[in-house]
Amino acid sequence: MRRFFRRGQLDAERAREMQAHLDHYVDDLIAAGDSRDHALREARRRFGNPTAIREEIYDMNSVPVFEPIVRDLRYAFRMLRKTPAFTVIALVTLAVGIGVNTAIFTVVNALLLKPLPFPEPERLATILTVSTSDRGTFKRPQGLDGATFLALRDNATTLDVAVQGSGGWGVGVNMVAQNVAANVRQSRVSANYFKVLGIAPFMGREFSGDEDRPGGPAVAMLSDRLWTNVFARDPNIIGSAIELRGEPYTVVGVMPAGFNAGYEADLWTPVRSSATGEGGGTNYALYARLRPGVSWDRATVEVSHLASPEMAKQFNKDTNVQCWLMPLQIAETGGLRQPLYMLWGAVGLVLLIACVNVAGLLIARSGLRAREIATRMALGSGRRAVIRQLLVESAVLALAGGAAGVGVGWAVLQELKDLSVDVFSFGYPVTLDGRVLALTMVLALGTSVLFGLVPALQASRVDVQGTLAEGGTRSVAGGRGRRARQLLVVGEVALGVVLLVSAGLLIRTFLHLRGLNPGFDPSSVTTATISLQDKRYEDAVRVRRLFDDTLAELRRQPGIEAAGVTLGLPYTRLLNVGFGRVEGATEQDKGGMTNMSYITPGYVEALRIPIRMGRSFSDTDTTDAAPVAIVNDRFVQRYYKDQDIVGKHIRIANAVREVVGVIGNARATASGLGGDSSPLIEPYAVYVPAAQMPAGSFKQFHVWFSPSWVVRSSLPLGTMSENVRRAVRSVDPLLPVARIDTMGSVQDAALSSQRFTMALVAGLGIVALLLAAIGIHGLISSSVSERTRELGIRLALGASNRQILQDIVVQGVVLAGIGVAVGSAGALAAVRLLESFLWGVRPTDPATFAAVIVTLLAVALIASLLPALRVLRLDPALTLRAE
Amino acid sequence: MGKKTELLQGTLDMLVLQTLRLGAAHGYTIAKVIEQRSDAFLQVEQGSLYPALNRLEDRGWIDSYWATSENNRRARYYRLTPKGRRQLQVETQQWAQLARAIALVMRPVEE
Repeated sequence: MRRFFRRGQLDAERAREMQAHLDHYVDDLIAAGDSRDHALREARRRFGNPTAIREEIYDMNSVPVFEPIVRDLRYAFRMLRKTPAFTVIALVTLAVGIGVNTAIFTVVNALLLKPLPFPEPERLATILTVSTSDRGTFKRPQGLDGATFLALRDNATTLDVAVQGSGGWGVGVNMVAQNVAANVRQSRVSANYFKVLGIAPFMGREFSGDEDRPGGPAVAMLSDRLWTNVFARDPNIIGSAIELRGEPYTVVGVMPAGFNAGYEADLWTPVRSSATGEGGGTNYALYARLRPGVSWDRATVEVSHLASPEMAKQFNKDTNVQCWLMPLQIAETGGLRQPLYMLWGAVGLVLLIACVNVAGLLIARSGLRAREIATRMALGSGRRAVIRQLLVESAVLALAGGAAGVGVGWAVLQELKDLSVDVFSFGYPVTLDGRVLALTMVLALGTSVLFGLVPALQASRVDVQGTLAEGGTRSVAGGRGRRARQLLVVGEVALGVVLLVSAGLLIRTFLHLRGLNPGFDPSSVTTATISLQDKRYEDAVRVRRLFDDTLAELRRQPGIEAAGVTLGLPYTRLLNVGFGRVEGATEQDKGGMTNMSYITPGYVEALRIPIRMGRSFSDTDTTDAAPVAIVNDRFVQRYYKDQDIVGKHIRIANAVREVVGVIGNARATASGLGGDSSPLIEPYAVYVPAAQMPAGSFKQFHVWFSPSWVVRSSLPLGTMSENVRRAVRSVDPLLPVARIDTMGSVQDAALSSQRFTMALVAGLGIVALLLAAIGIHGLISSSVSERTRELGIRLALGASNRQILQDIVVQGVVLAGIGVAVGSAGALAAVRLLESFLWGVRPTDPATFAAVIVTLLAVALIASLLPALRVLRLDPALTLRAE
Repeated sequence: MGKKTELLQGTLDMLVLQTLRLGAAHGYTIAKVIEQRSDAFLQVEQGSLYPALNRLEDRGWIDSYWATSENNRRARYYRLTPKGRRQLQVETQQWAQLARAIALVMRPVEE
């Protein structure tokens, strides 16, 4: 057996050995006085036929079961190489089908199937509330309020519970340690949080009950990454002081490497559990672990007794509230579960269609090979051997397709991850692993049987005598499956139309949104965001000084045209506040709501927002100067239509301010104000000088919003990034910059969810188009090979190539036409569902529909024409002589 | 030129093993030794030795290595493995029994 795999090498060795034998013999004979010629002849005569002996040994070393399969394999490769077009099409189809399945299964596996990375994950739970009232029954994983949590924590006997506070908007928080400033992501958790998850700290301890109460000691635990990056794995870190948001904290623990609770965190602080403040609302996420030996039923009963009455206080009196325990993993992935399984089903369907397509191609090809197969059977090959041969061929195809599919799947996955970065977080690592690869292998082998068996059985049923006598054109067993395949092609085209129309509309939406006039000049603008939710920056004087000094420092640098600071960047969400009219205020119309931002001088200039009337802010608009404000065009339209607003007064940001200028509309993301619900709006906005903001307002706003510096310069991002950091460092070396990016990236991020949906649907649309093309190609191919004889006769009788081609191609185009008609009707219905995702394009956009229909018909034409062209190579004389 | 004698099925293996009991040898030597020790009576077709060598090696009764021969040529040498030595004992015994049995049957008949 082991010699089986080394036969080639052994054979060569054997040849050398026999040659040595002959040489020795000759040596002896010559030594005995023979002539060289005679000696050579004699040696060969006595030795026998070396080739025959080598063959005998070669056969001895082969294994009877393997031998035919190896032969089949070799033959399969030869056949696949001989028909490269078929091979490539089949491989691409399979690679796409298997690839998207691999990608989606990877996500399903990582999120739904893999157990959470904690010990005994099946005993982890969270709470689900079912609330019933006149408005209906709602069942959902629910944030808990402090009172409910405290009741559970203090009284539950079946569970250990812990909570995580909500939060983490936008940028992270400022940390200063060992004179290094960093922007870190903070998570706030209760005592026992890590114990409930079942992961002990790598060093030190987790939070105690005394630290987890209002006014408790300020302590922190570090992630392994933060400990490594900032503290160089200092073994004496426990007990060290760090500064978080300008307040001192003591490090009490470090979590082990690889700890991942489904979100990104650099450090943890106590949530300071309470029934008031944050705990007054349902802001806590609950984690519970069943105590040893406790059944789910018992724990559920206790939860409903302890938690339900407390939770009920959060609802109206007429609402009945019931709390249930739910396994943590199911709750965490609850929102994703259904869409993911649906997506999985959809890509499963894609694979099925891919298989049917490949089967169609194989049937078409086995038609061409009927003669070869008949010859082999006539020469004594058994039906079983023929089927085996054809199955080996499809297995080779499927395995190669599977291998390519893993590549495609990996690429799709990377793309999916890239696209989803700003849209949602997978939480846990999504990677190809053994289970995924195993599934891919099973898929590949399963599909090979699926698409290989039917054609193989059909092909092996050929009528040997008939086929050989007639020249191998009549005996294809294609008739039965034909209707089904035609329906499939119609379905594929229809599906393609629906998906491509949807994709087209989403693409037009995206292009529309991206092409909108931003209202300013985003090129050559760098933005830097800094979190000022910091004890050291609660004082307005310090904030103003920070702005003034950093801007002065930046303006001193060469290559910088303009710089300013704003509370709200364009293409992000702005702050909403009320304003009051001064002139013309009536009882009915005292003012209204508006978007608002503070800005420094230089901001309008850095973004090149056009000044319509009056002026922008200058350095003379100081704290002590007369209060002023700027408004934008939309504000004027909305509240002061047809009035000259410059010189009028509005009450905003604790002062009556004179409106000194009107500027253009810089676009923002939807904030609930500003008219339509489009993802990108032209907000009506009021701008107030940062220098004139009321003293306490910075502290209030900076909890939710972080100011951004905008700098206009033609220098590259890398240089600018360093320049900005240097400027900030020169003013406050312990203030970290949270994020630096070009204005263009900020704009892109605002459209990331549109980009994600568009790419997903467009990807599916392209796959559908590909499958439709291959389906048509396969169908026409087999039709041509079935009709070779008929077509040959018609050619011989004087039909022109053109007529014949037309005749064949019409079939494919007619099927595609039916599919397009069905698909267009389907698309008209489907786009209604899409309506709320579309902007700047009507759901029935004729241009999109026309483009998709033309594309599909063109693809159908090409897919039919390619196999039809084979007819032109037909030699009528040959076709007929075979009769 | 001796006449060609058909070997009894399976005896070639035994002869090869027996030859190798004298020490390692390459194919040509094995063929020559068998010929000489049988007083040139057993003239195997020398090539047919090689399938037998292949079989014996596959069964682990002999193993082989390349070395330089007395004629200063590269040749493949075969030698008995311990397993082969035991096998040879079994075969020798069986052969002796068979030869004795045949001799008994073939002894002159007294009429």
